[in-house]
Amino acid sequence: MAEINPKYHELDNEMRERKLDESTPVSLLEDVKHKGRVWDDLCEEYGVDNPDPPWRITLEATCDMLAGGYWETFNVCKPKEERNPEEEEKKLDAVERRWEEDKLVEKYYEQVPFPERQLLALAHTMIRRGLFDEEELARRMEEVDQRLNSA
Amino acid sequence: MAEKHKPAPMVDEVSEFEVLEIAVRELAIEKGLFSAEDHQRWTEYMHTLGPLPAARLVAKAWLDPEFKKLAVEDGVKASLEVGIDWVNSMPTHFGTPSDYCNLRVLEDTPKLKHVVVCTLCSCYPRPILGQSPEWYRTPNYRRRLVRWPRQVLAEFGLQLPDDVEVRVEDSNQKSRFIVLPVRPEGTEGWSEDQLAEIVTRDCLIGVAVPKPGKTANDPRPVRPAVNPYHH
Amino acid sequence: MSKPHYDREHHVKKATGIGDPQCFKGEAGAPKFKVGDKVRVKDLPDIFYSRTQVYTRGAPATVAELVYESPAPEDEAWDNTDKVTWFYSLIFRQKDLWPDYPDAFDSDTVETELPERWLEPL
Repeated sequence: MAEINPKYHELDNEMRERKLDESTPVSLLEDVKHKGRVWDDLCEEYGVDNPDPPWRITLEATCDMLAGGYWETFNVCKPKEERNPEEEEKKLDAVERRWEEDKLVEKYYEQVPFPERQLLALAHTMIRRGLFDEEELARRMEEVDQRLNSA
Repeated sequence: MAEKHKPAPMVDEVSEFEVLEIAVRELAIEKGLFSAEDHQRWTEYMHTLGPLPAARLVAKAWLDPEFKKLAVEDGVKASLEVGIDWVNSMPTHFGTPSDYCNLRVLEDTPKLKHVVVCTLCSCYPRPILGQSPEWYRTPNYRRRLVRWPRQVLAEFGLQLPDDVEVRVEDSNQKSRFIVLPVRPEGTEGWSEDQLAEIVTRDCLIGVAVPKPGKTANDPRPVRPAVNPYHH
Repeated sequence: MSKPHYDREHHVKKATGIGDPQCFKGEAGAPKFKVGDKVRVKDLPDIFYSRTQVYTRGAPATVAELVYESPAPEDEAWDNTDKVTWFYSLIFRQKDLWPDYPDAFDSDTVETELPERWLEPL
């Protein structure tokens, strides 16, 4: 008789309750989707050959950092007393992220090429999970925009 | 009079997507989800990764039966000989997050063709093969390859005789896989470099077979699926 | 309760320079199955964090290789890394997974890895 950790049932229910089918669009991201210029178009305009935008790998790294290693070899190996539940909440497990990415892309970002779609799905997931909110992201985008586009 | 050196073309504008990526990352760091230092180290490491070491591993295996044996028995040890250390890479020194340290090299024979997929999430042997291609990550590939492998392979232009065993390797746990294809005809007397050149990333995933003269992956146009994935 | 020979506290130190899953070598005890054994995948409740694909549930398979020892993913994600188990590479015939798989491709297979607890003798 195999013992499955009962926490799994909790998690399973939680994932089901996330009701991804009832997710809503994020207007900030819809804006980016409609107005943003994708790498394929930029390449064509500027005659650049590189198949990937310069931020592709930093995006991958962000996804990896959020996952902290799929099986949580970092946090889970600490003794219970040393584990920090707040820290654990901050992780965005790789399988969960990919599952949501598949669903969000299908629902909102199907027309967007890769890796722009991965980026939009990641931002969407992070907002849904309360890792940051839409206003914070909008403000930070403005800041970054000014920084990059100032003389 | 020497010709003026023309600068390589560059994309001269900042797109919203680039801004978004930076904003997401900076917010994440500000919220303490990870540190800027860890992220930078990881990014630098990832920039070093690509498919060449895996291609060389295959070329070496073709040239040396003893090395081929080692590759099949102990992929991690064999990787060291092409300069890839699955264990001591950044940032943990016990393997990279989500790539782990168990490379398995799948040896094709004239009667056995391997092709790799990760149905759950698109795990990929990044330390030796670099970043995964877009199509590898799509539900279209992941859900259909296990179910209709020959149809999916046909879409990639690969047809196999009925009596060849097509073995789909579903990479769902800690092992990561590359395919060691059959050495093609017409390569007698070739050097390791020449052989490595025809072992493309698609050959290492298993959706293509190496051919003399073919040194690049096919471009993948978006095509309607023969058996589309229905949700 | 930690097993005396696996000290969770020092996983990081333990795995450093050795690698994961190599660091769990020797901790799973005797494997239940050997190469060539015929097994069936148990149909345990469908749980999100399981890495046992739905399409394998209830299907027969042959053990191709004992690949490594490690905590099962269902445990490792939840702090239960005391239970190190053997992982097996299993070969399934496509015909056993999909009843309508074409007869012409009779020899086609799927290979995947599963921890011991998901398997029972056939």
